[in-house]
Amino acid sequence: MKSNFLVIRCLRIALVIAVLVVTGWAIRPFEDPAWQVVRAQQPAMKLDSLQGALGQGVTVGLLGGFRAIVADFFWIKTNSVWSDNDLPTTQKLIKLVTVIDPRPLYFWQNGARMIAYDMPNWRIVAGGGYEVVSKEEQRHIDEEQSTVAINYLTEGFGYHPNSALLHIEIANVYLNRLKDMDAAAKAYFKAAQQPDAPYYVARIYGELLRRQGRNAEAYAWLKQLYPTLPRIIEGATTQPSAQELEMGMAPVVLERIRELEKELKIPASLSFKP
Amino acid sequence: MSTTNQAGVPFSLSRLLIVAGNTFLEAVRQKLFNFLLLLAIGLVASAQFFQEFNFGSSELKFISDFGFGAMVFFGSTLTIAATAQLFFSEIENRTALTILAKPIWRTEFIFGKFVGVFAVVGVFCALTTLLLVGLLYHRENAIMALHPDAFEHGRIIHYGDLIVMGVLQWLKFGVLAAITLFIASFSNTNLYTVVMSFFMLVICHLQYLAHDAYAQVASLPLRMLVRVLSYIFPNFQLFNLTDQIGIGAGLDSGLALRVAGYAAIYIAVFGGLAVYSFRSREI
Amino acid sequence: MTNPTPPVAIEIRDLTKDFPLTLRGVKLRAVDNLTLSIPEGQVFGLLGPNGSGKSTTIKIILGLLDPTVGECKVFGVPSGRVDSRLNVGYLPEAPYFYRYLSGTELVRFYGRICGVPRKRLDDRVKEVIDWVGLSGAAHRRVGTYSKGMLQRIGLAQALVHDPRLIILDEPTAGVDPVGSAEISELILKLKAQGKTVLITSHLLAQIEDVCDRVAILDKGKLILEGDMNDLVGQRGRQALIVDPLTTAQLAELRVWLAERGHTLDAVEQPRARLDQLFLSQVSRAVKGENK
Repeated sequence: MKSNFLVIRCLRIALVIAVLVVTGWAIRPFEDPAWQVVRAQQPAMKLDSLQGALGQGVTVGLLGGFRAIVADFFWIKTNSVWSDNDLPTTQKLIKLVTVIDPRPLYFWQNGARMIAYDMPNWRIVAGGGYEVVSKEEQRHIDEEQSTVAINYLTEGFGYHPNSALLHIEIANVYLNRLKDMDAAAKAYFKAAQQPDAPYYVARIYGELLRRQGRNAEAYAWLKQLYPTLPRIIEGATTQPSAQELEMGMAPVVLERIRELEKELKIPASLSFKP
Repeated sequence: MSTTNQAGVPFSLSRLLIVAGNTFLEAVRQKLFNFLLLLAIGLVASAQFFQEFNFGSSELKFISDFGFGAMVFFGSTLTIAATAQLFFSEIENRTALTILAKPIWRTEFIFGKFVGVFAVVGVFCALTTLLLVGLLYHRENAIMALHPDAFEHGRIIHYGDLIVMGVLQWLKFGVLAAITLFIASFSNTNLYTVVMSFFMLVICHLQYLAHDAYAQVASLPLRMLVRVLSYIFPNFQLFNLTDQIGIGAGLDSGLALRVAGYAAIYIAVFGGLAVYSFRSREI
Repeated sequence: MTNPTPPVAIEIRDLTKDFPLTLRGVKLRAVDNLTLSIPEGQVFGLLGPNGSGKSTTIKIILGLLDPTVGECKVFGVPSGRVDSRLNVGYLPEAPYFYRYLSGTELVRFYGRICGVPRKRLDDRVKEVIDWVGLSGAAHRRVGTYSKGMLQRIGLAQALVHDPRLIILDEPTAGVDPVGSAEISELILKLKAQGKTVLITSHLLAQIEDVCDRVAILDKGKLILEGDMNDLVGQRGRQALIVDPLTTAQLAELRVWLAERGHTLDAVEQPRARLDQLFLSQVSRAVKGENK
């Protein structure tokens, strides 16, 4: 009698746990198809690096399912620090934001742009300006920042292995900052292989081949590209929208093909027939 | 000796809805609800100012993420605080005595409380989702005019998906409300309920770690323990059906329905446990 | 033929209620082997000091607590069952209601919970609000009510479904003497309607005025139960109240009584009860103001 209350309480707790375990077990087959999809896009949380940077309160927030909003607040903070040209803090925050939530591509894209395009400018201005810092030193700074940006974007492939956008950003850094057309072309090529690649990526790849004097490769590439572009095909049941036509720029690609045929002296009989 | 013949009192949905209606009315007349709602709306609406940062088309993705982040944060807070508060106000102010002294089942009372809170959170989710949809539509039109090349495949935002995600968050809050009600049904104070419910929120978001880990644990007893743990708590990560809300590949409606069913089952289970615990509670 | 037993509203048999104080089994016995029967149509007073088990007993009657041992039936139905409360109205001690509802909304809410048919609901709500004298404040929010008004709206919600048994837990706690007298008046009206009323109160004078029967609890045990007149009336003795007598007249009276075998035990000046004096003065002042 004396320990009755305790026994009853223990039995009650055991019953509650049993109900929850049976529910969890029974619902698992129903849950799994959805969970596989969610799990595939669920990046791991790097708690060790976060706890030092954020403190325990924010870390608990992340664990509580608020990682998106925590990352967004840090992203706003990044932009505010960026407008003060504070290089070390901006760089640290850019990385922190993608550690907290690596899912949004725009964190990677915009973070890399800040590192590759804005930070060299800040460093040169801090060194006395474009007149004072030597061209060689400027080139060196560009290379350093570009490497940081490319490494950063490459890290993004860990979470977004099929992202055309990350390849495009890498290509742009090679092209615009390092003036390395070959590396840029390779990156554009990889971007063009991805399922969500915009039409212009393949055009630019062809153009870069051409600028490097690799006309035959460019010609072969564009010939292969043209049939995949949206265009009006007589007799087809469905036609692309005006916007798709505009974005695909099939006539421009055809024009390039014709120019290359002239340059490569392709006989009319062998010319490309769309 | 009086042996008046009494008809039994069947379970009544109408009584349940009367309690729900009263709970809803009490909640919306409380400052907390209005405060959190205004804060969430203010935060979502402040996404309008992200254009200052010149994100370009990624601004839309950011607004969408940020809006849903605000909704998840304030929604979770509102769900836990409102459920605990609306339950304990009945106990502490002894209005529960007056109601439960009437011919009403405790099941009707508990589920009435749940439905009332669920309706309050539903209003919150509907308002924040609609505001977000409106804001995104407005900004998408503006950005489309500025950067047409980013919209070569048409509009970026799937507005239908946004609404589906809003509904899924609402259902998740429903499970959270049922969990909070279960904790409230046996706990003595509002504060304990709120703290425990936040712990549960965190654990349910981390449940998947146990779910993933048990196969890799070498020791059998430990593996069994991890497995049991993975069964005890519902998996809140399941409600994040897409990593980029309303953007990118569209939502699979079959999966969304499956997740909704998952939520409904857990609402019923935790609601049932709350009733079980509350039935033996001495008022 | 014997007289038929009067119908019973509440029947409590061998009731014991323990509350666990610690997980290891230490407990507090709030009600100890209580047996009590409350007939229909009576006003029954449950008395006792704080902690004597009155409120616990009431909560068991209302099904809010389960007995540890024993049984409790309301109109023949075990009190743990929902249908035992179909014919019960309850006014808790120092009631607190939903502050954001008006008096009418509040009574309506409880009426709907009790299943008063929609067709009759509005009329019934109006009727009970009139009956407790709150018509003038029916549309005010309950949050603005005074203590006395809260008790009255509490009584209205307890009566909205026209129950046969009304349980009033300290109905006059914190209410001024005027409000208290009005509540006593309402209780007597309920009795006149044939309702059974179970009342607990610290105001023994009030209990004495309205109750037919009382039970006294102490430390959870029933220590006295009986008819009010039997308990407090002094059988075999009488008091005479006369105009003032002189000393000589008083001596004459003593002799006259002694010759007939009686004694004069006490000569005192009768006193009015303070609450009655208060009520007469206050009502006079109110009348004066009205003029």
